[in-house]
Amino acid sequence: MDAALSLDHVTKRYGDFTAVNDLSFAARQGRILGFLGPNGAGKTSTLRMVLGLSSPTSGTLSVLGAPDGRPVRDRIGFLPEERGLYRRMTPVEAIVFLAGLKGLPAPEARRRARQMLEEQGLGAAQNRQIRNLSKGMAQKVQLIAAIAHRPELVILDEPFSGLDPVNQQTLESMIRNLARDGATVVFSTHVMQHAERLCDHVVLLAGGRKAFDGSVAEAKARAPRALVLEGMLEAAAAAALPGVAAVATAPLDGGGQRQTCALEAQASGQEALKSAFAQGLDIQRFELREPSLHDAFIVLTGTAPDQMEVAA
Amino acid sequence: MRRLINIAAREYIAYVRTVGFWLSMLALPLGMGLVLGASGYMEASAPAPALVLIDQTPGQTFGPLVARKFSDGPGGRPRADIVDPPVALPTDPRAIGAALKPWLTGDLKLEGKRKLAAAFVIHGQGEAIAIDVWTDNPLLSSTETVRTVVSGQMERSRLEAAGVSPALLLEAAALKPTVTDFSPKTSEKASLLNRLPGVIGFGAAMLLWSVIFTGAGILLNGVIEEKSSKVLEVLLSSATVPEILFGKILGVAGVTFTVLGVWGTVGTILMNVFAPDVAGDVGKVLMGGGLIFYFAFYLAAGYLMYASIFTAIGAFCETTREAQTLLGPIMILLTIPVIFLSQALRRPDTPALEIMSWIPLFTPFMMTARAASGPPLWQVLGTGVLMLATVALVVWIAGRAFRAGALSTGKVDFKGLVARLRGGE
Repeated sequence: MDAALSLDHVTKRYGDFTAVNDLSFAARQGRILGFLGPNGAGKTSTLRMVLGLSSPTSGTLSVLGAPDGRPVRDRIGFLPEERGLYRRMTPVEAIVFLAGLKGLPAPEARRRARQMLEEQGLGAAQNRQIRNLSKGMAQKVQLIAAIAHRPELVILDEPFSGLDPVNQQTLESMIRNLARDGATVVFSTHVMQHAERLCDHVVLLAGGRKAFDGSVAEAKARAPRALVLEGMLEAAAAAALPGVAAVATAPLDGGGQRQTCALEAQASGQEALKSAFAQGLDIQRFELREPSLHDAFIVLTGTAPDQMEVAA
Repeated sequence: MRRLINIAAREYIAYVRTVGFWLSMLALPLGMGLVLGASGYMEASAPAPALVLIDQTPGQTFGPLVARKFSDGPGGRPRADIVDPPVALPTDPRAIGAALKPWLTGDLKLEGKRKLAAAFVIHGQGEAIAIDVWTDNPLLSSTETVRTVVSGQMERSRLEAAGVSPALLLEAAALKPTVTDFSPKTSEKASLLNRLPGVIGFGAAMLLWSVIFTGAGILLNGVIEEKSSKVLEVLLSSATVPEILFGKILGVAGVTFTVLGVWGTVGTILMNVFAPDVAGDVGKVLMGGGLIFYFAFYLAAGYLMYASIFTAIGAFCETTREAQTLLGPIMILLTIPVIFLSQALRRPDTPALEIMSWIPLFTPFMMTARAASGPPLWQVLGTGVLMLATVALVVWIAGRAFRAGALSTGKVDFKGLVARLRGGE
């Protein structure tokens, strides 16, 4: 499959500050690409270059075959990190206006707006001013406005921020539908769970540099599996179990400790667990945990995304 | 072009459907009507002031003359009503005020619940006549009337004493020169038509100033709102900077010109109904002299120049407080033409105005005001070319600034502004 979007050794500097450093990756058509990293990692700077809102200091881009998003802006849908809608417009008016800028004729835009609002449970709100809608409702309206013209490439900058779990699920469903209908979706986030559930392909960014580029499974394979043991056992005893590479200890509220034992690549969790019971260690709860994307991020960048966010 | 029209249409509709738009549409005619109506009503309904007039001079020649002058006002209405003193007055002029104090201060009213506006006491003799005025209204115009009448009579008495006959004095008083205004252009008597171009030029320059001020202000606030609500970033991903910039400027121009159009139409209709001669003369000046095309040219250029500046400034600001810092120098610039415009009405060829006309930021205002006096063609062309070049430069810089401002975050100082303009982002 051809790449809908590709970056080749792209660097972006603002004065002495390097926001994006020698970044290369490609997003294939009809797939969902997660662009992951903490705030300040360079995600928004990269997306702005893709859209043509700023120019790279060096390197080249290809956006639907163009050197940046400007010549093909009618084929792109964009949801910015900080939502922006005219507060005194109704959802239908806002969607018709923004879709109109993308070349969709007003009658068709109005028809699609009403249909999509109905599908998202916003039928009753379609003629209310946006300032009277909840944040979740307004965010759905903004996403509909970004995709009403049926773009080939959809760029969503932190689409889940500020949404409650129910609306996050709704949004995930909308993103899946976009990909199902053939659009290439690139979304940035610092919340790994969304990427884990949605993405075919992830690019991890830290400090402006690419830390990983591949599938979710490949990313997770970079992180060790873990055996979690809770009870009165000591860290040294856990570390001595077969196949355990490292142990992280955390106290439990009701007394005792949680020992998170990172397993070596080929080690068997069951063997380690058998050994623990055989030694008569005081274990009240155990779990053999497969690595998450969050774990992979820590391994790949050396820092947790949320910790980096605070630092940023 | 499609996007530009879309943005302009949204901008236009967003303002036109607000209550504020209709209020501003009605504000000027209502305000003018209120001012004119109120002053006319006050003039018509105000009763003639009640005055007490005491003539203590030998022969008492001044009292009847003053009374006659007050009885003969414009439109046959008396200028003042001379009333009898409400109380027996002492002969000492200085004590009269004390005797009339309750009526002069309003504690007591005259017949018909009127207040006594003033008491005039004329006393003395020969050439040592004095007028004592008792009133708590120092701006009362009756005082000047009394002074003029008494002064004239003293002058006549002195001349009569010198042997000038009363008949000759009457003849001399009736002598009046004939003053006629001629127009140097037509060599004929000057009419309202001759004076109109200057007045219309001044009015058009002031109108241009207020249109720019209002339109640019609307744009500034609109862009600040879009910046703070992050709509600008969405627009930038959907349209080019010139499309957004000109779309917004065009939309707000539509709003401003809609208001002007409605006012102009209503004004023309009213003028044709109530003053058809003046309406005809105004039409001749605007169309016959081609002034309307001058005005349209300077209006378009001036609006584009200042609207671009204000829009670019708005893109850097998320609050009006932030905008005020950047707007300061522009506001000072905009007040300078107003100071000079009144001079353009009285002395259109003063060198200061010519010099000001060559400063592109002031050209639209100064040349609009001077257009009526027919400035030399080379000046019209020279200032016009310079102004158009400046407009192009300002629009180009504003485009870069708008783009940089729209994507910026946080406060922008002057150094940062220049750096962003150089970098374009």
